[in-house]
Amino acid sequence: MSAQDSNATLQKPSKPFWELVKVQGKLVLREPYSIIFGVALPIFLLLLFGSIPAFGEPISSDTTVTIFDIYIPILMVTVLIMIGLLGLPIPIVRDREIGWLRRISTTPGSPAKLLAAQVTINIILATAGFVILVAGSILIFGVNIVFDIPGFVLSLALATTAMFSLGILIAAVAPSQGAANGMMMALLYPLLFFAGIYVPIQILPSGLQTVASFTPVGAAVKALNSSMTGSFPSFVPLLVMAAYTIFFGYIAVRYFRWE
Amino acid sequence: MEVNNHAANYLTSRKSVVTVSHLRKIYGTTVAVDDVSFSIAEGEIFGIIGPNGAGKTTTVECISGLRVPDGGSATVYGLSPKNNREELRKSVGVQLQESSLPPRIKVWEALELFASFYSNPVDSRELLESLGIAAKRNSTFKQLSGGQKQRLSIALALVGNPKIAILDELTTGLDPEARRETWGLIERVRDRGVTVILVTHYMDEAERLCDRVALINHGKVIALDTPAALAAKEGGEVHVQFVPSGPVDDKVLTALPGVVSVEHRGNRIVVAGSGDVTTRVLSALLKVGVQASDVQVKSGNLEDAFVKLTQTDDKIVKREVVQQ
Repeated sequence: MSAQDSNATLQKPSKPFWELVKVQGKLVLREPYSIIFGVALPIFLLLLFGSIPAFGEPISSDTTVTIFDIYIPILMVTVLIMIGLLGLPIPIVRDREIGWLRRISTTPGSPAKLLAAQVTINIILATAGFVILVAGSILIFGVNIVFDIPGFVLSLALATTAMFSLGILIAAVAPSQGAANGMMMALLYPLLFFAGIYVPIQILPSGLQTVASFTPVGAAVKALNSSMTGSFPSFVPLLVMAAYTIFFGYIAVRYFRWE
Repeated sequence: MEVNNHAANYLTSRKSVVTVSHLRKIYGTTVAVDDVSFSIAEGEIFGIIGPNGAGKTTTVECISGLRVPDGGSATVYGLSPKNNREELRKSVGVQLQESSLPPRIKVWEALELFASFYSNPVDSRELLESLGIAAKRNSTFKQLSGGQKQRLSIALALVGNPKIAILDELTTGLDPEARRETWGLIERVRDRGVTVILVTHYMDEAERLCDRVALINHGKVIALDTPAALAAKEGGEVHVQFVPSGPVDDKVLTALPGVVSVEHRGNRIVVAGSGDVTTRVLSALLKVGVQASDVQVKSGNLEDAFVKLTQTDDKIVKREVVQQ
């Protein structure tokens, strides 16, 4: 991009990318579906689960791990499911459907920057969700989380890239907002199930556990679970998430249409 | 006549800023643009008219760099999407047909956003003032009326200080009053020194605004001239109507050069002819000592020319198809 003048004023905002982040961010605040479902809902569930007395009991006599403890990574992955299915793709599909992406592509500000801005905003939202969930469980409910920091960061990063590439894949292949909504609904319940929001994966039959561990969400919960109980996650869930990132990302890039 | 000279001046004294040469664009098996060539002079309002599906929008999309031609070329100040996409986008402001903004974006936000894309944007406040939507600065896009949305769309096309503005079907769907106001805006845009390419299917709009128009049919330019010249050449006969003060021998009128027919309608006489038939009829009447009152002249307009030219062309195209 061209160099900006040093005497830039309010009339002349600085970088197009940050201007796009600002505007897209305001639009998210004005239509806060992704905040409601991606951030507020998991927080609400955290508060709900935290106030159920039975959830505070150890899952078996030989451990201090409670049902509530098990749900913390599940809720973190729920944040990613909501953002990957709804927060990220729906506005992109809408902007394409109404011709906004096309409009942007007639200017020196490219629609790719708009896409990057959308990703940035959703990373901010997801991060806010993670921070509140983790801080809330520690500060409000006194959960003792033992982080394996590199494992935790890596697991969270891979979980995010896997679910974000799924979001961009939806944005790439959905021809309309209606179609994107349909894909979201079709994927929402299976993904929530395999993340363990209805029943924690640990108490599913072993066959279903295996299936779950090869879904991006099941792998994410598994990896987060290890890294939040003090150990570096095993390589299988990390590889599963990396594979999904590459797979979804490849199809998304291949089929993405700007108009 | 004045319009004519105006356009002629542009052609001779000003440099050509847009050059479209044997442009061709194919979608699948459909030939959207077959062979389109024209050049646009700096500072003119150039109209592109034609029936739906004639290839108007595709032509301007190639000029704006949204599409890459399959054949021929479209360059703006020598820039094309092939050799310099970035520079091209900086110099061309585009208003797209059927493109809208996110419903909840505010007018000022959209303008500041677009301003941030350019290195030398115009003052967005002044722009809103001059387009008459300064009062709507804080409104969201969905709160705007049709006319206000179009004004914002023009503002977005102009905020980057472009040398060329492409306006596609700008007034479609607007009420007559808003359309007329928009015409005034387009003239003011030109007065700022911006060359305007106007795609329209309203002939009155092209007639009123354009220095020259290109009529496109089946992906080819079938006429290119000033609206007045097209109307005069192809718009059919001029009809002069008047009430004579006394009896007139028809021969006096039929003998005049250019006169095609003379008809009596009640106490009125209707003379049909071509060229400067009005002056000839009036001076002939004067010579035989008859005064004409309630004189009405109806000349062929651009719409007549449009219909005639496209119908003739359609017949030719059909014949070619049959022969093949």
